Amino acid sequence: MISDAARRRYQAIVPPYVDDAYALARWLSGNPADAEDIVQEAALRAVNALETANVERPRAWFLRIVRNAALTWMAKNRSKSLAFAGGVDDLAAIESVDFADDEQSPETLLIAAEDGERVRRAIAALAPPLREALVLREINGLAYREIAEATETPIGTVMSRLARARATLAKILEDKP
Amino acid sequence: MSDSDPRADKLLRLNAALDDELDAAHRLELERELARDPQLRASLRRLSAVSEAVRRHAPREAAPAALRDAVAALGHPREARRRAVLPIAAALAAGVAIGAAAQALLAPSRAADPVAAALTADFARAELSDRPYDVASSDRHVVKPWLATRAPLGVEAVDLADKGYPLAGGRVAVVGATPLPTLVYQRREHWIAVTELPLSLADGATDAREGALSGFRVIRWADRERGYVAVSDIDADELWAFVAAFRTAEGVNRGEAR
Repeated sequence: MISDAARRRYQAIVPPYVDDAYALARWLSGNPADAEDIVQEAALRAVNALETANVERPRAWFLRIVRNAALTWMAKNRSKSLAFAGGVDDLAAIESVDFADDEQSPETLLIAAEDGERVRRAIAALAPPLREALVLREINGLAYREIAEATETPIGTVMSRLARARATLAKILEDKP
Repeated sequence: MSDSDPRADKLLRLNAALDDELDAAHRLELERELARDPQLRASLRRLSAVSEAVRRHAPREAAPAALRDAVAALGHPREARRRAVLPIAAALAAGVAIGAAAQALLAPSRAADPVAAALTADFARAELSDRPYDVASSDRHVVKPWLATRAPLGVEAVDLADKGYPLAGGRVAVVGATPLPTLVYQRREHWIAVTELPLSLADGATDAREGALSGFRVIRWADRERGYVAVSDIDADELWAFVAAFRTAEGVNRGEAR
């Protein structure tokens, strides 16, 4: 059973970040109903973990649990292709930064960026590791080292994923719709 | 990765600058590079445009209310997680005048109630310290004189054990500079603290009124001679039932004493 002490710690740590958790779960899972299930599961994991866990950065700590709950959830409920494709191996390809085609003028990009639906589709089309770095940075507003903690990834990798995510988004938005 | 590719390295630093993650020295260095490299400036504009577009078109949505409630509920102590019955139903069951209960339901939560706030803080502190009372005794003949020597009021330590609220002890709460006698009753693994106030601190209303402060339930009422504040983390309906039992027993006791 969960002790009242753990519940008290939970009360101080988790509820303030429910919006952040929901936003992350939505972008990882791609739909609102799944996001609710994921956040509930994460909250349950959090209160259990707080029997023993020592938390320094509550938001990064809880978002890591949300992220892991999302991965479990998707592995269980989705076809492989929609889940985080493979694992660390596939990421190597993504890490190799390729920033070609940086010559274009920003005009087409600026026009495309006005189209909210297009921007959201482009985010959804990003490879999951890139999308999660982008969402944690731009939507949740996490600092690099918080993103590193939430995704259990070295800071260098966080940086290259973020750079890669933005470069890819720019390219998608610059292409004809 | 970027070690062998100065172009990629520059882009990483552009991103870091955009995210305010560059220290002053690197920022200065980058600013100099930007000043002499138009292509780098174009890259920065593209990156800012992307960042800006994401923030604008994919804002952080609020979690649905049901999810928010479900997440918050996990943090409540076991008993309090039971869905609260409407206070009015409990008040009816406990025989409290409907007028008082209805008024309690309608009364806006009185945020500017320094006495209730102080007693709630006192309750929270006592609960966290695992020492909810200064004198531990279920015997009112022990608790009453202990309090009488430390606080100015003549508290009636009523016995509610047969109603399901054994007396656990007493403590002195302090509001402003006034020491106030406080009885601590037990309800399963929860505490209920009842503090007696002089009329100068009571708000004058004799009808019982309910409020919630910092997650605790507060009911306050008064009679002709003094005011009372009950604070607990049990459900509203349970606290109303307790208050009804306390008022009845307390009235009987004072009647006998007269």
